[in-house]
Order: sequence, then structure tokens, then C-alpha cells
Amino acid sequence: MRIWMVLRSTILLVGISFFLSGIAHSAEPFVSGYDRFAPSKSISESLAGQLLLTELSCTACHETDDEELRPKNGPDLNGVGSRVNADWLRDYLAAPHDIKPGTTMPDMLAGLPDAKKQNAITALTAFLMNQKQEFPEIIAGGLSPVPYEFWNKGDAELGKGLFHRVGCIACHEPDQDYETAEYKPTPLDQMIEQLDDEELKELGLSQHLRPVKSVPHGELGKKYSPKSLTYFLLNPEKYRPAGRMPNFKLAPMEASHLAAYLQVNRLGKSRNKKSDFSRDFIEKGRQLFSELQCSSCHQAKGIDSKSSAKKLSELNLEATQICVTNPGSNQPRYPLSEKQAISLKVAVQTLKNNDSPEQHLKLELRMLQLNCYGCHERNERGGVGRNRKAYLETVRHIDLGDEGRIPPPLTGVGQKLNQNWLKRVLDGTGVVRPHLSARMPKYPVTQVKSLPAQFAAVDDFQQQTEQEVFKETKNLATSGRMLLDTGCVQCHPIRGEALPGVVGVDLSGVTDRLHPAWFKKFMFNPGAVKTRTRMPTFFPNGKSSNSQLLDGDVDLQIASLWVYLKDLKNQPLPEKIITARSQTFELVPKEKPIVLRTFMDEAGTHAIAVGYPEKLHFAYDAEQVRIAEIWTGRFLDAQGTWYERFAPPADPLGESHRLLLSGPTLTYQADDPPVFKGYRLQKSGRPTFLFRLAEFDIEEQIFPTKTGRLRRIWTIRTQRQSSGIHPLNLHLLPDAKHVDPTTITSDAGLKVHLKTTSKATPTKDGWNLSLLPLTAGKPFVIEVEYQW
Amino acid sequence: MVILIKRWLLFTLLWTVCWLSTPPIDAAEESDYYKLISVVTSQAQTDSRSKNWKPAPDGLALEVSGIAVLDNQKVAVTIRKGEIWILDGVYDDPPKNVTYHQFATALHEPLGLIKKDDAFYTVQRSELTRIRDTDGDLVADEYLTVAKGWGVTGHYHEYAYGPELDGDGNFWLTLNTGLGLKGDQLNRTITEPTLKVRQGRWRGWGMKVTPEGEMIPMCAGMRSPSGLGANAAGDMFYTDQQGNWVGTNTLHHMRQGAFFHHPDSLASMNEPDSPIKGITEIPNGLPFPQAVKKFSALKPPAVWLPYKKIGQSATDIMLDQSDGKFGPFAGQFFLGEFTQAGINRVYLEKIGGEYQGACFPFRSGLASAVLRLAQGTDGSIFAGLTNRGWSSLGTASYGLQRLTWTGKTPFEIQEMRAMPDGFELVFTKPVDPKTGSLPTSYEMSSYTYQYHSTYGSDEILKQSPAIESAIVSEDGYRVRLKIRGLRELFVHELWCRGIRNRDGEALLHPDAYYTLNRLPNK
Repeated sequence: MRIWMVLRSTILLVGISFFLSGIAHSAEPFVSGYDRFAPSKSISESLAGQLLLTELSCTACHETDDEELRPKNGPDLNGVGSRVNADWLRDYLAAPHDIKPGTTMPDMLAGLPDAKKQNAITALTAFLMNQKQEFPEIIAGGLSPVPYEFWNKGDAELGKGLFHRVGCIACHEPDQDYETAEYKPTPLDQMIEQLDDEELKELGLSQHLRPVKSVPHGELGKKYSPKSLTYFLLNPEKYRPAGRMPNFKLAPMEASHLAAYLQVNRLGKSRNKKSDFSRDFIEKGRQLFSELQCSSCHQAKGIDSKSSAKKLSELNLEATQICVTNPGSNQPRYPLSEKQAISLKVAVQTLKNNDSPEQHLKLELRMLQLNCYGCHERNERGGVGRNRKAYLETVRHIDLGDEGRIPPPLTGVGQKLNQNWLKRVLDGTGVVRPHLSARMPKYPVTQVKSLPAQFAAVDDFQQQTEQEVFKETKNLATSGRMLLDTGCVQCHPIRGEALPGVVGVDLSGVTDRLHPAWFKKFMFNPGAVKTRTRMPTFFPNGKSSNSQLLDGDVDLQIASLWVYLKDLKNQPLPEKIITARSQTFELVPKEKPIVLRTFMDEAGTHAIAVGYPEKLHFAYDAEQVRIAEIWTGRFLDAQGTWYERFAPPADPLGESHRLLLSGPTLTYQADDPPVFKGYRLQKSGRPTFLFRLAEFDIEEQIFPTKTGRLRRIWTIRTQRQSSGIHPLNLHLLPDAKHVDPTTITSDAGLKVHLKTTSKATPTKDGWNLSLLPLTAGKPFVIEVEYQW
Repeated sequence: MVILIKRWLLFTLLWTVCWLSTPPIDAAEESDYYKLISVVTSQAQTDSRSKNWKPAPDGLALEVSGIAVLDNQKVAVTIRKGEIWILDGVYDDPPKNVTYHQFATALHEPLGLIKKDDAFYTVQRSELTRIRDTDGDLVADEYLTVAKGWGVTGHYHEYAYGPELDGDGNFWLTLNTGLGLKGDQLNRTITEPTLKVRQGRWRGWGMKVTPEGEMIPMCAGMRSPSGLGANAAGDMFYTDQQGNWVGTNTLHHMRQGAFFHHPDSLASMNEPDSPIKGITEIPNGLPFPQAVKKFSALKPPAVWLPYKKIGQSATDIMLDQSDGKFGPFAGQFFLGEFTQAGINRVYLEKIGGEYQGACFPFRSGLASAVLRLAQGTDGSIFAGLTNRGWSSLGTASYGLQRLTWTGKTPFEIQEMRAMPDGFELVFTKPVDPKTGSLPTSYEMSSYTYQYHSTYGSDEILKQSPAIESAIVSEDGYRVRLKIRGLRELFVHELWCRGIRNRDGEALLHPDAYYTLNRLPNK
């Protein structure tokens, strides 16, 4: 059985590597942009060569002043001993291109005689494994789950999902078994993937069908511990400052799941313990590291040796021993393909001849280096590889077409996006497409800081103020709000509110993100600016589909959208969104009254709001035992009470709000405040409130009459026979004006009618009633009506 | 092209042959022993912290905040929106035919549910309410106030939890402290002038309500006491959550006059019925064992739940009353875990008249934050889930899951008991004598927390007590550890990575955390 298992995995691995895989497994260094665009001549030989100059870190030794030609360099080796497995490191140093096919690191030991080489490997391994560094503590809290030793708790299956959905597969190899919601690549697709460029050309297949090979990452299970790979994924920039592997803003457990998936065959502890490395070896390794000028590309504590190589501009390509074609024993050895060697030579020659490349080439070089093209298409170059698109999803699989799942194209982005916003997109703080499963990763600032300005310059962006673009902007917000209702709200949320089922780019902040001129052009005819967009035009044939608003003036209408969106913070939401919201959260009493316990500004923290189908409503304060507020029309929005974390007070809707007197409505003698005891619901849904006042059990009903008044009935009972007269005070209105013996009014236009047979004496806020002696079980009833 | 096709055929052939062989045996996983069944798990339309939080577009926002098991088919749940629902068919596996019946509405964020006699009881933000259907139409028509009178300033953090019943039939409930009260909220507070603390009345307190409805303030010093539960003896416990004054999550025995940690609750100290009086000073910035010595009202937790290791925010307390139907942990507590979406386990013993004991990881991987736990009639555990307002692991925002025992016994530390010179471990399966008696199979560290007004605390004053010997009992179920360097009032963390059972299996969870408030007498 065991043999079968081993055999199975071996065959599987071999099978995968010789057939299915699109991973670059030849020894030549793999650079995405080069592999994808150079062979087909989509980029010039010189640009392709420049890309190799930086990505193979040629310019780490052969210095140049050109900012764009800054070398990629290798990982920061501070703390590498805490991150990688010693056995793997030893094997890697011995044969980097066998252990990690496609690596951009040159073999630095190839020129050494065998015995010497073995010693060098041991010494370098000793030195590097001695570079220890603690992993940073990840802060845990109520908002960030960080299970203890989370790196050991990853779930490979969950990691697999993340790997394919968040965008890893834009650069790295998807799993052929991964189920996508869409079609799976057919065997034909897979065969096309295997065709080389010339075969593709022969078959006449366009650039979109060209295979996109994957960035290899070697056997991560052998290289890293679960912990070190997890930490790498959480913050790649810390270990690989060039940002070629960007930061996907993973939560700790997400990184752990991904690591579990990536480390198919996780190894236990390394055979080598730290004690295996003698001080001599460590010291020898340090010297070697310095001599071999490893520090030209790698940072390591206490080592800072300068390269003695010639400057880029002084290179003599005619020399017999150059690292490109025929490296000497002390030169780095890259297993370059013939094509790569030619590209490099052409680049070096071109750079010698020309002063400085054109602006657009600088930008393209940067995009190639960072492999922006892996996700984004710009000027018909790049974009998510053909068979990789299916892995990227829209949240909840809502159909938004490719725009809802594929990262946006960057054609003309310099004209579209405000530079400050673009900066935020690149530093990871600007996120407006939460409906994409793919995440825009975060890049090291040093690597991307020039991009916003470069996009603007290359796309020939001309600054135009709002005034220049729209001319007229005064008093347009109301029209803009109405226009939004005619279309925009069908696909766009606004301030986090949306029509049911709508996901998309939230329009709040859009005026901070976009340039006004682009906005205008896009609104006028989206399809002309962005091919294949789902965004329809609202101005077919240049005419507004709404001829009423602003006299159908197209310019003014577009301006009004801008004006409304710009002032969104102070504007009401579009009517349709308000309506949709109220359909979800507004309580509308239809057949029965609706009761809601909540916080309210007037009724306090023990509020019970009651709404009647007759559109008369009140808020009961169960703490003071009183009606706090009455109103008519619409009742209440329950969203805050039901779902908002901060439990805001519920605002009564409707109109004709009247505030009633603070303090208990009924008092008996002086002290003893009433105590609320709950309520019962009648069959009709009408609540009967219960409270106790001194020795009395009191029921209270409040409901609308046919004449549009609010009637309030107290039924008072006592358990024991009582003698004498009980003075009961009714507190109803402040500064009540007694217009007749049973009617009082307030300044706010509120009238209260008393309907009781008992003797009533006027008081400053109502009446004093003298209750006759009560018999046990026999109730006494008081009734009032509110009219307003 | 031809070569490609040949390769393809060869590959397909090999692949098929390989696939027929059996898969490799995986290491033991929690799911081998305790299986999760999702009754409902839903993904909200927005992030758990969104200001415009919206439930899933379809169906009921089942943010379960209380569970009352009704019988072997039905449970009743409260949901945070303010309703009680009765769910039928929840024991089915898979639960394909669950029906939902709305029983009660208009409750203000109820955070607990029990059924006693013919009525439901829940604690809303402002009162303990008894809810009944009196006319037999299966819809509640009576909402009676059993007890109220605690301060409700309107601050969202003033959650009120419960009720749970103690052994004498009293209701217990707990009241969160408000955080950063302002504006109008301050008008609803009381102030203790000496300590200068200000809160709503009885905020940060545990309250007992007699069956007659008398409310008695029992104990104070709570921060965020979201879970209550009684043990088999009928004594009441609660969990608290890490924050200011609370170094890490904790489990406490609630009893009259006890003060646990958060001083804001002492705003109510001068109320006539307060059982705590005369505290004039709170030591701020001492290791907890020292603070206990200096501050006599301060009672140590029965169990500290070390941060991250045993979750990040403890919630409900559930006593396993299944008598073995849920596996080998009858009589122990299970604790809900919010942030890490899991369930932990606690073993308690009484030393010197007070409870103390150990906690253990139990089950991770629930679909969302666990707020409530309740045991079904078949011993399985219902877990009520909701992560709104904070954040949690898992794939859902809210729902109800059921955890069932597969019948396979996991290899676990069942009990960890304090001994005068060490600990005795009881295992669920016999330990292999060779690995079990090796002192190096075990590793111990001890530490405590800082008692201070700062949020949370590191583990401080760490030491590594030495395992001097490990003696395996004849039947293999017990290991007696002799340890040098035990410290009272410190947490003792034990890792048994080296031991195996007689089948060569490692422990499913090799770690245990014992809060050694007192060493037993010899």
C-alpha cells in the first residue's frame, strides 16, 4: 500500500510536470513580462533586455544612474536562518536552477572545483542559518482573530480557495482540479497552452491566446516552515523588498490557509540543528558571502561589500568572458536562453547609444517589472491570462460580467484617476471594488511612488478644473439626485446603501477619485471610453433620455450628477434608495398595530413605540410610565434598532409630532412612582400596559378612535378593600389651560378631553381626581382623549 | 501535436491507475470525533462592522443570541433583532426540513433564553421578561416584566445577558459596563465620589432574581460578562472578556460580595442593597497575585483563559449534562468562543472551598462567532452564531450549528487536578507507559497577568516549573506529575507533546492551562 502511495505521488508529480503544468520548468530564469511579451515581439528587444537587466539584478553589480533600471535584488537575508530550512538552503546553493527552476538568482559557485564548492556551501549555509530573527507578534483583538500558533492551523482546502480567488493565480500556477463556477479549461485549451509562440503564429492565434506561464516558486514545503511561509505571505515586502510579490492584505488565518495549501509536502524539522554549525564555518561563510559579493543583491547584517564590476555603460560586450554568454569562474552564472542573451546585449547597446528612454517606455518597464500586466490590460497589452479568468469571481456570483470579476483595464488611467487616489490604490488604502474576489495588492511605496505621475504624463493628462469642464455648477444638486434615480442606482450603491441585490462601485467619493473631464466624457458615452463596458449610455445619440430635467441639456445634466455626487455628504440619498430602504426597514402597520422596544430620544432607553394602521402612533416610556411622544403619518424605521451596532435611538417618522409631559402621568399621593410590569397583547394586537402604583394594579390602553383622536384608558384595581377617598393626579400637559371643566389645551395646539364621572379638580398640568372607596376586584376607569 | 496526445494518454492512464489505490491516513482531527452540522449559516451582505449592516438577502436574520431546547425536535432561539423563533426539525442530519415559527417580537436585543414551566424568560436591554402564549395560538401575547431597575444609559455596550437558573431556581443575569459614556448618557449614571467611577446603576454587576421577582445585586467588577451558566452543584458562573482591568478572558464563580476586576462597577457601591462596601482604593499596575493580597475584595477567577491559546473572547457557559451521550466530558463546562469561532472546555474542582481548574481547547472551525451554547436532548450541542459588531473566523455572519459526538473517543486530557506537589492528569484513553513516564514528554510554564487599567495584559512573571517525575497508573488513565516550583495564583500551562496512547496516537490537544489559586493541603 505504502509503495503504491509513494509511486502514486511520484507519478503524479512527474505527470504534472511534464504535461499539465504551465510553470516554467526549464532552467532559464523566468521573468513574467519577458516570457509573455518578448518572444512575440510585443515589446521591443531593447525593452525586453532592460527588463532582464533589472529582474536578473544585473544592475546590482553593473551600476547605472537610471532610476528605472534599479535592480530587483534578492530577498533580505536578515533572519533567513529563522525562515528557511537548512537542507533546502544547502541544496539550493549547490544548484539554484535545479532546486528552483526559473529562479532569477545566478549560480555563484559554479566556477568552483568540487571539493571547494562543497566547503563553500557548508560555510554559506552555516553563516546564513546563523542569521536569526524573531517573527513579529501579530496583534490580536476583537476584530482580528489570531489563534495561538495560527501558522500550524491552516486548512489547505480553504487555502486553495483563496489562492484561486484573491488573485495569486494571476502570476502563479492554478490547480487544474480546482472547480470554478464557470467553464473548465478543456484539453484543447491545455494544448494551446503548450504551444510555443511560433506555433501560435502559424495557427494565427492572437495575443489573447498566447499562453501565460506561471511564476515558479519551487517546493515551498521543503523550503519554509509553516510559520515562516505564513509570515512571508502576511508581509512579503519585509522579506522581499522589491515588491515583485506584493501584499494581498491577508488576515493571519488566511495566510495560514494559503501556506498549508502551498506546502503540499510539509517537512518536519530540518536535519540540521543550529549546533551543527561551528563558529569557524559561520565565520568562513561570512567571508565568502562578502567575497562573492552576495550583498550586492542581498541584505545581511554587518555585510556591505561593494561590487567591483564594471558600470553598465562601460560594459564591453565583445569581451570573451562575460556573464551573459560565457561567465568566468568568478562570475555569476545564469542559464540564459539564447533569446535572453540577445535581448540583454541589445539593451546594453541601446542604453549606451541613447541618453534616456522615452517616458512611456519607462512606465512600461515599471509595469513589466511589477507584472501589473498579469492582471491589468493597458493599451491592448496584458490582462489576466486567458485560462485564468475563470478563477476570479464576483462575490455571491452575482452576474456583473467581466467588469465584476476581472481587475480593471488601465488604458487611459492617467486621464481617469486623480493621482492622489491612484496613490491610495497602490498603497492598499483605496479599495472601491469589494465585489471582486480578486484583491488589488499593496506595493512597497518605493516601487510605485512614481507611477501616478507617470500615468498622467504618458496618458497626456491635461488638468482641467471643474469650472472649465462643467461651466455651470450652481444649484444643480437636486437635479443630479433625480437623474441618479433614472439609472445609476440600478447598479451602484451610494454611501453603502443600495437597491436590493445591487453590488458595484459605490458612487460616494467618486468626485475625489475621477478627473471631471474624464467623468464627463465617460458619462456621455461610456462605451467610447471603455470598450465592452456594461455601463449603458444615458445619452443615446448625444441626446438625454430625460428631456424634462434641466430642459434635457446634456452638459447640464452631466454637471448636475457631478455636483450632487460631490456634495453627497450633505444630500439626501436618491429617492429610489430611500424607498427601498424603507421597504426593508420601515415599519408600516397594516392590519395590526406594531410594537417595537427600542431607544428613543424622547421616550428614553425603556421606550416602547406603538404604531397603528390608522396612522396614529405613540412612544411609551416604560421607565417613567408615560406617553412621551405622539405623531401621525409614517411610523418608524427599525434598522438602527435591529441591526446597528451602536444602537442609535429610533427616530419617529411622520409628522405632527407632539411631546408630552415628562414624569409619570399618574401619581398617587406624593412618593411611590409607578412601576412598569409589562404588557399583554389583545387579539387585535393592541397592547395593554400594566403597572403598579402604590397599592393599585393599573392597566392602560392607548389606541386611536374613529374620530382621529388618541384615547387613553386606565383601569384601576386594588386587591384589598379600601376606605376613604384616594386622591389621584393626572399629569397631562405643561401649563394646561382649562378651557372647560373637562378640556385642557397646550400652546402646542394639543387638546386633552377628560371622560370620567369622578369629581375632577383642575391642576396646573391636568386634574386631581378623587377616587371613591374601591372594592376589591371592582375596577375604576379613567379615560382621556388627545386631539391635535 | 502527436507527441502531446500520446503524453496525454499516458498521463491519463497513469493517473487512473493511481487513483484506484487508497488515500493516505490523515492525522487525527477534531472533526473525526465531533462533527459539525449546519442548521443555518448565512453570510450578511455587508462586513460585520459595517455601519449599514444588512443581513443576507434571503430569509431570517438568525443572529442567535439565546437558545432554549424544547424537546427532541425543536429549539427556541432569540435573535438579536428582537424576536423569538421556534425551529422544528433541527436534529435532522442533514437538517433539510427545518421549519420556522415566529413566537415573539418587539424585544430589545434579547441576549439569552430559557424555558421554565410554561413560559420563556429572556433578558432585554432594560428588563428580565417572562413571555407566554395564554390563548393557545402559539404566538406570545403576554410580556411581563419580572425585574428591572438597572441603569440603561443608551450606550450600545450596555448589553444585558441571561437569564440562567441556579440550583435553587433563582434567575441570574449579568450587566455589561458602558464604555466612554457621553452626552445624554451621562444623565443616566451614578457616581462613586471616592473612587471617581461613573456608570449606570448596577452596570458591571451580576444580579440574582428570586422566583418571586426580587432582584438582588450579588457581585461586581464585570467588564463584558456575555456568558452565564450553573455547574452540576447549581453554583453560578460567568465569563468575562479581555479589556481594561481584565488581563485575559476569565471564568468566575458568582457569589455574594465578590468583586472580580473592573472598578467601574463600584459606581453602585453606595446603593443601599450593595453587598460590597467601603472600597476606597484600587491598586492599578500590580501583578494579579499581588493585587489579590493587597485588595481583599478582589477574588481571583476560577480559571484564566490564556489569550489566543484559549480563544480571544469567551462567551456562553454550558454544562455537559448528557451523562456521556456527548463523549467523555460529562459534568464539565463548554465555553463559547466568539472571535475564533470555537468551543473550549473547562474542568473545575474545589480546593479550600473555592473553585479552580483547567481549560483546554476543544473544537474550532465553527461557521461564525459562537455566542450561545445549549445541549440538545441527545447530548449534542447547539451553537448560536453571530459576529456583527466585531469580527470572527468562519465563513458565515450568523446562524445555528449543531455539534455531535461521532462516538469515537478522542485522546484528550480529561481532567487536570492540583496536587500538593504537582498535578494529576486523567486521560480519556490509556497512556503508553513509556512516553507517559518520561518527564521530557511534558513541559510546563507558569505566569500571571498585570492588574491594571490598560487594555489586556501580557503573560508576566514567567517561570518554567521543573517536571521531576511522571508516574503512569496501572490502567494507564492517570499520570501523576511531580513538579518543582508551583506558584499559587498563577496560571500553569502544560504541554504534553511527547506522550502517546497505547495505539501510538498523540493527544488531540496537548495543552492544558490550570489556574492554581490554591495548592491543596498535603
